[in-house]
Amino acid sequence: MARIWPTKLDRDRLRRRFVALLLDWMSWGYVAYGVMYFLNDYWWRIPLERFYTTLTLPPWGWPAAVLGTLAMAVICQVSGYSLGERALKLEIREERPLTKEELLMGRAAGKPFWKTQWGVMAVFLLALTVALGWHIVKIDPEALIHPSPRAREMLSEIFPPDFRHFRVPDPAFELRGLPYSILDLMVLTIFMALLATVLGAAVALPLSFLGARNIMGFSPAGWLVYGIVRGFFNIFRSIETMLWAVVFALWIRWGSPLAGIMALTIHTIAALGKLYSEQVEGIDPGPVEAVVAAGGNRIEVVRYAVLPQVIPSFWAFTLYRWDINVRMSTVIALVGGGGIGDMLFYYKNEGKWALLGAVVITIVAVVWAMDYLSGRLRERIT
Amino acid sequence: MLSGYPEAYLKERPRWMSLDAVADFFYFGFRNLRKYLSIVLLDMGAIGILWLLMNYVIIRLSTGRIGYALVPWWVFGLGVVEAAALWESFGRSFGHRVARVELRRTDGGEPTATQRILHWLLWHVSVLPIFPLLFIPSPHERVSGLELRPFTMEGRTPKPWWRTSTGIYVAWLTGVALLAAISVTVSWEDLVRLFTKAGTTAKFWRSFFSPDTSIILKTIRDLIVTVFMAMTATSFAVLVAVPLSFLAARNLMRGVVGRLIYTVIRGMMSIIRSIEPVVWAIFFLVWVRVDLTPFAGVLALFVHSVSDLTKLYAERLESIDPGLIEAIAATGANRLQILRYAVIPQIVNPYISFTLYRWDINIRMATVVGVVGGGGIGQALFFYLTGNLWRQAGTVMLFIIALVWAIDYLSARLRAKLA
Repeated sequence: MARIWPTKLDRDRLRRRFVALLLDWMSWGYVAYGVMYFLNDYWWRIPLERFYTTLTLPPWGWPAAVLGTLAMAVICQVSGYSLGERALKLEIREERPLTKEELLMGRAAGKPFWKTQWGVMAVFLLALTVALGWHIVKIDPEALIHPSPRAREMLSEIFPPDFRHFRVPDPAFELRGLPYSILDLMVLTIFMALLATVLGAAVALPLSFLGARNIMGFSPAGWLVYGIVRGFFNIFRSIETMLWAVVFALWIRWGSPLAGIMALTIHTIAALGKLYSEQVEGIDPGPVEAVVAAGGNRIEVVRYAVLPQVIPSFWAFTLYRWDINVRMSTVIALVGGGGIGDMLFYYKNEGKWALLGAVVITIVAVVWAMDYLSGRLRERIT
Repeated sequence: MLSGYPEAYLKERPRWMSLDAVADFFYFGFRNLRKYLSIVLLDMGAIGILWLLMNYVIIRLSTGRIGYALVPWWVFGLGVVEAAALWESFGRSFGHRVARVELRRTDGGEPTATQRILHWLLWHVSVLPIFPLLFIPSPHERVSGLELRPFTMEGRTPKPWWRTSTGIYVAWLTGVALLAAISVTVSWEDLVRLFTKAGTTAKFWRSFFSPDTSIILKTIRDLIVTVFMAMTATSFAVLVAVPLSFLAARNLMRGVVGRLIYTVIRGMMSIIRSIEPVVWAIFFLVWVRVDLTPFAGVLALFVHSVSDLTKLYAERLESIDPGLIEAIAATGANRLQILRYAVIPQIVNPYISFTLYRWDINIRMATVVGVVGGGGIGQALFFYLTGNLWRQAGTVMLFIIALVWAIDYLSARLRAKLA
């Protein structure tokens, strides 16, 4: 009987075929972008706008580019084993022996990848990316080898670093009328990270159970809560700590440590919540069933079957997060988050390189120690 | 079986004036010393931190200033040592807990009060490093008849944490640390603003629903610069980090020279990694010409990526299966062939996965590096923020969030495929 409606297998194959074509189209589109960029860069050089002049096309250029790249993608797909097919592991279209031409195209095994069609394309795209990056970023090895006069001045001043304000506050630098030394601000920064981690972990812990499929996935309401919590984690995690700090600096006050703490906390909740709930989803279901069989409710399941299994990895993640938070809190002052970064950017703006060196060395020592300590502790826990 | 004797007594001893005897003396002496020293240092550190934090809180709450000690440093040092001695003699201290030992009689019984007092008094003598080196066991254990034995839970009922000295200590430390942290970072005015001034961010959120369309094209171009900054930094970092990772893998670097190279590279990478990309960006922004801001950002990302990738790669190399190497070596393959057929097949996928992960991080970092002036979209954001152009800043932020989310999703999907 002739099938009218495609089976699930056919539909899946069709979908893969379509995605493969889309990938090929996109890679050729990328090539077209590169070509246009270089054309603009070299031939239609407009001095004032040069930096941003990347996509200047005549009116007929757009449809030409779109159709041309599509044509190239189709040619790739028809003529051999294209990049999109390789990415989706669409091995061979029809079940039939390969012809001699196809073997020569490199669809058979044993050929080095850079001689196959997809390999050529991949190497070409990589080269194009490096070349484009080189021009867009304006990489200049000469500038690296010959430092600017300011750099020479900096290098001559930064050694030896000046630790005179490590313990004694610098009268030139004060925050809200209070003098601070390097040590004071370093301790304050570590406290900021500590508070953010504790607060974040305290909120993420209960939320993580609400965001775990094997705890919530028993009722429609449970699924709803699961979806909301997971969505919250995903959205808030992709907003950087620095961006949160911008918001809270506007909200509370520029340079307030509380703004930094709130920014770190929000991101910590989302990041830790995701890690925690993935751990909860990976537990052994045996104890859960045992507690349910003994008549335990959801809270008792969490208390007696889930928590004992996940506590060590929870500690490991929390330590890891504290390490990250210490790193972040040292520079969060850049966007108004408070902490030792205030001093860092103050000395940088004033050009006091020797004092800046002392601040940087202190930060490095603390961050390094935290990294080492948390690594050792995590090894011990897990 | 002679029980209760240290192992140094149980083995046949060399003649007293031979070289072996000297070697034995240092070997067992330092082992003994290390055992005591680690516990004592842990206890002193634990007590010292608690003391400093309590002083910090007291000074902060009573005077509103920042201070660390209410007493001269030598009083602090003596007090810490004394408290450690008391804790180790009359209870199961933090150091004991970490080392998983406890103080018992040599026959395994519960120490008596007299023995504990003797232990405490003579502890003051034995704290000098020379004594644990010369005497095994150290005088305070010899005279009091006590020793540190491995801790077991056999035949005991577990105590709740608030009945153990370490539990009380940790609870107290946590409380004091939180109090100290809150007292110095949070002020009433800030708290009040946090709960009442949420409306000030409205101009920000509003821009998410009505972005400034006139800057969209420029923002996309900045976005492209940022993406290429991350791509360039990652690809160059891979080129440097792959060879370095072979030099930084402990199992491949054997011998004195190899171990030296391993230590130097690992140490350097660990230090470089501790410096944030933002700080590197500050350095490179001064280093290169003023007009090359994205290049400075790329250099900062590059340096940090190299150190991070080297560590990740080397750790993966250290955990490869040695059986395959032996199998290939048994066929008479040379070093290059071993590398090609035994090592590389095991590491290709993890390496690609780490690279993707780092690329993901680099895109986030590129936005942050831009904020100090490292080019790309971060610089645009900082420009709008300093100009109080909230609507434009919100628009830029919308693009950053979309980019980070997309890259995060893409890299996670690709990594799941590779695993």
